[in-house]
Amino acid sequence: MIYDIKQTTHYAYGESVPVSRHMIRMQPPHDDGQSVIAASLNVQPAPHERNDTRDFFGNHLTQIAIDAPHETLTVTLHARVRVEQTAFIPADDTLAWEEVVRLARESSDIGPHAPVHRLFPSRMVPLDPALTAYAALSFPVGRPVLAGATELAERIQADFVYDPTATAVDTDPVHAFALRRGVCQDFAHIMIAGLRGLGLPAGYVSGFLRTVPPPGQQRLEGADATHAWVSVWCGPKGWIGLDPTNGMRADLDHVRIAEGRDYADVAPLDGIIWSAAGHSLSVAVDVVPVSGSA
Amino acid sequence: MSPRVPSPLAEPSFMTGLMATYRPTGGHDALVDANGQIRPVWQGFIAEAERMGADAFAQRFARADAHLASSGVVHRVYGDGDGVRPWPLSHMPVLVSAEDWAHLSAGVAERAAFLNAFLCDAYGDAAFVRDGLVPAALYAGSPEWARPMVQNGQGGGQPLRFYAADLARGADGQWRVLSDRTQAPSGAGYAVENRLALARALPDLYRSLQIERLAGFFQAFRAHLVSLKRNPDARLALMSPGPMNETYFEHSYLARYLGLVLVEGQDLVVRDGEVFIRTVAGLKPCDVLWRRVDSDFTDPLEFNMRSRLGVPGLADAVRRGGVTVVNDIGSGLAESRALMAVMPALAEKIRGHDLRLPTLNTQWGIDQTAAQWIDEHFDDLVIGSAFGAPLPGIGTGSAIGGSLSHDDRAALRQHLHRRGVDLVAQEQIKLATTPVLTSHGLVPRPFVLRVFAAWTGEGWHVMPGGLARVSDSDDLSAVSLQRGGRSADVWVLSEGPVAETTLLRGAHTPRIRRSPGSLPSRAADNLFWLGRYVERTEFMTRLLRAALARADRNDAAIYEAICATLTSWGSLAAFKPGEPPLPAELARAVLHGWDRPQSILALSRNALSAASSIRDRFSPDAWRVLNDLMALVEKPLMDALPEGEADDRVRDVLRLLAAFSGLAQDNMNRLIGWRFLDLGKRIERGIAMARLIERFASDDPWACDLLLELGDSTLTYRLRYVDVPERAPVLDLLLLDPANPRSLAFQVARINDHLTSMPVNAAEGRLGPAAALAMAIQATMTASDAIDLPRELPARLADDLMRLSEIIFTAHVQPDTGRSG
Repeated sequence: MIYDIKQTTHYAYGESVPVSRHMIRMQPPHDDGQSVIAASLNVQPAPHERNDTRDFFGNHLTQIAIDAPHETLTVTLHARVRVEQTAFIPADDTLAWEEVVRLARESSDIGPHAPVHRLFPSRMVPLDPALTAYAALSFPVGRPVLAGATELAERIQADFVYDPTATAVDTDPVHAFALRRGVCQDFAHIMIAGLRGLGLPAGYVSGFLRTVPPPGQQRLEGADATHAWVSVWCGPKGWIGLDPTNGMRADLDHVRIAEGRDYADVAPLDGIIWSAAGHSLSVAVDVVPVSGSA
Repeated sequence: MSPRVPSPLAEPSFMTGLMATYRPTGGHDALVDANGQIRPVWQGFIAEAERMGADAFAQRFARADAHLASSGVVHRVYGDGDGVRPWPLSHMPVLVSAEDWAHLSAGVAERAAFLNAFLCDAYGDAAFVRDGLVPAALYAGSPEWARPMVQNGQGGGQPLRFYAADLARGADGQWRVLSDRTQAPSGAGYAVENRLALARALPDLYRSLQIERLAGFFQAFRAHLVSLKRNPDARLALMSPGPMNETYFEHSYLARYLGLVLVEGQDLVVRDGEVFIRTVAGLKPCDVLWRRVDSDFTDPLEFNMRSRLGVPGLADAVRRGGVTVVNDIGSGLAESRALMAVMPALAEKIRGHDLRLPTLNTQWGIDQTAAQWIDEHFDDLVIGSAFGAPLPGIGTGSAIGGSLSHDDRAALRQHLHRRGVDLVAQEQIKLATTPVLTSHGLVPRPFVLRVFAAWTGEGWHVMPGGLARVSDSDDLSAVSLQRGGRSADVWVLSEGPVAETTLLRGAHTPRIRRSPGSLPSRAADNLFWLGRYVERTEFMTRLLRAALARADRNDAAIYEAICATLTSWGSLAAFKPGEPPLPAELARAVLHGWDRPQSILALSRNALSAASSIRDRFSPDAWRVLNDLMALVEKPLMDALPEGEADDRVRDVLRLLAAFSGLAQDNMNRLIGWRFLDLGKRIERGIAMARLIERFASDDPWACDLLLELGDSTLTYRLRYVDVPERAPVLDLLLLDPANPRSLAFQVARINDHLTSMPVNAAEGRLGPAAALAMAIQATMTASDAIDLPRELPARLADDLMRLSEIIFTAHVQPDTGRSG
């Protein structure tokens, strides 16, 4: 499946900002599961410093500094990405979850995709007895890890209400869990906290989700959104994406941008401005399948 | 049997009396051995103390306590009402024999080198993990492992340059390491203060016992910091979280002692991978930072986005080689309890032998066998968080398993079964004791010892001494200053004569190596406002005094007019016309009004707060005066006011303010910082004088008298004019006469002098408008004549000065740092 992706992020500051510094994680990776055919990231006004690099987890990272007065900041991503069809792994064809717990704990892999990075509490995902107990219901003794994780994702989709007004970008998953409400970020954090509480490695994936317009209606320009889901480590079978917002596996509709321990590792645009005034933000995303690809 | 003092002093005496009830509780004691004999290491001390006699001993210690109190040594206690408390110093040092010290210092140096090698691996290519020497979870499990600082294959360097070990002597006499401090160890500055206080109290004893000196350690560390500079013009700075931090006193003390610029995150800025200090003379390069801010707070862009203590871009500047941060960002990784569990085996593998100083026996639940063992011995072990993440029942700390409630114990054991990797278990140890002097004589108390080591470029230099913390109870388990206890100086006895060092002299005349122009802008603002607040305090006090002096019936109208002035200036609540407060109420309200923004209490507090964040910039005496002022105005006046008490209070306040001004005037270097302090004072005094004249100028003799009194110019007037005061000559003296130090013209002349001497930042040209405005004010005044002074002139001059203050203020204050994304 090939997509043309356009994402425009626009900040309007209430006043002239003399200096700003940002970290941008918006460019999709080119790896086993997806190919980046073309990509460009444009920043306006032109930064005084720009450094394109990779972060610890292998994500594309662009660091910028603007030292001339500016009242707006616009970051635009254009990318053409092919999401590859990967071999389907049956849920029951994975190790018992207790065995995965043991392998993760004793792992001597320390590379960017090592399970051990996603095993511990992280900045936005604490361990919490209530979340662990919730997850534990899907993990009776000896159950294959992916079977348990899939059921957990389905339960979250069934038990929680999608409600963008209930939470904010810095909401603690313990709070969202108590509300039984939230958005993709909250559901991903809740699922991660539950799995880690059992000793299972689970990571956070940010990306795009293609939205299919209702039958007979036109796709609305800019109506797509950034999305987030969970990556679960299944021992020798590696990482498998599960989307608790939709209660499904991550598939051809899911385009990955960045991966980490939680949202704090993958925030698309994070920065510091020297200004006392507030700011307004608008984000427009288009994920358009290139016709003829499938 | 009571301990016996050696024979020459066997007759009943001072020390014998003190030691009559000295009963160690069974474990190792520093003072006496198992037979009650005084150990050799203490014999010299006891004999010397005996020679001094009880009275001299007590007097000298009273002086040591006074010294510590007056130099403002405080320790901030989190969660306490008033926040700071004096540093409690034990009157007995902890003595360490040369033999014990040789063992300890070699062990500490060895450990520092080992931990440095560990950090090199963690921030290099992680070979210890890849070769299977340690599990990957040892790095990945710690929130202190700063992933953005990992540079694959580029290990090496010196991530650790300043290290401290917390050591305990067990009841069995063996020394063990309780914990390692690799993030930003605190306490070295307190150790110096303790040494100064004790050495002053017991100079003869100190000299005759041949105690190792501390100064060489700091000289070596400073020399190393200097050697790290790449740019010869760059400053060395100590980066502090600011006055709210519990060890801020130490930060300002060490900055002054070592000649470092004391900065907070907001003083620093990163440009093109280089770090600069924002000063009143523009950006000044800084390429070596001694960090006292935890890694996670050093850079909000790459670490904790909520941090207001850090510098955006600092991590990037480190990666690009623009700055050396000491210790490296991420060095706190080596503090984890999990590391203590694997340390003996790791040392064995990479060094061929275990470390000389044993680590507290620690088991980590990552290993199934260990988890099983912990479970079986749960109640006897000290259970703690492996990496500091909170655990059920014990939070981020530790507790003896058996001491937990039923529910907490169950929850913690369930956590052990599910995620044993999060916790460790350590042996309980009983501590050895050392003598402490109490009102009941000498008593044995458990203690721990913090020993510091600094990298000098060639090796590890261990500070011969340290900071001992002595418990206030005889419970032989943990000791913490946050939970009480006192500190003690650590005397390492030398085998040979000790060279006299300059430590004491150095502390009398702090070695300020600061050059003019490196004044951080934030410090300039604080000095400016300190000057304004102190002057305003004085001014309100003078007004209050003038009112109290006119409290009798004949002057009722004048009394009310002054009260109305105090009300409109915010130091007194509004009152009905004709019903001003009684003098006692007035004094209470203006002096101690908690709810009035301009009461003398509120102003003193503002002055103290401004001063507290620039403690490295003025003398301990001036600081003490401000504290005395605060103590005075915090002491409430009694309800039934004895005759004259309010007057006394007012006089005392004015006397302290005069003392502060005198100290600031005479004892502060005439550097740029002093100019900001004086600018604040001059602007405040000018505004006050102009406003007073606006309010009271008239032909009435009482008004002329009042103005002269408030302007402290009554005597001057009498010397010049024989007549009763009249409006025009009074206005000339208070407004236009450049020779009268209280006049507005005098203030403006001083302001002009300061502004033209400022290091003008040519690129930003910010002081330009300030200097121009000050010139214009001066020109207006020179052209004016007191005989036909325009009515509105005083008000206009006051407004101009307010505007001038704003221009100066905004020139040195950056807008708030906001965040997007």
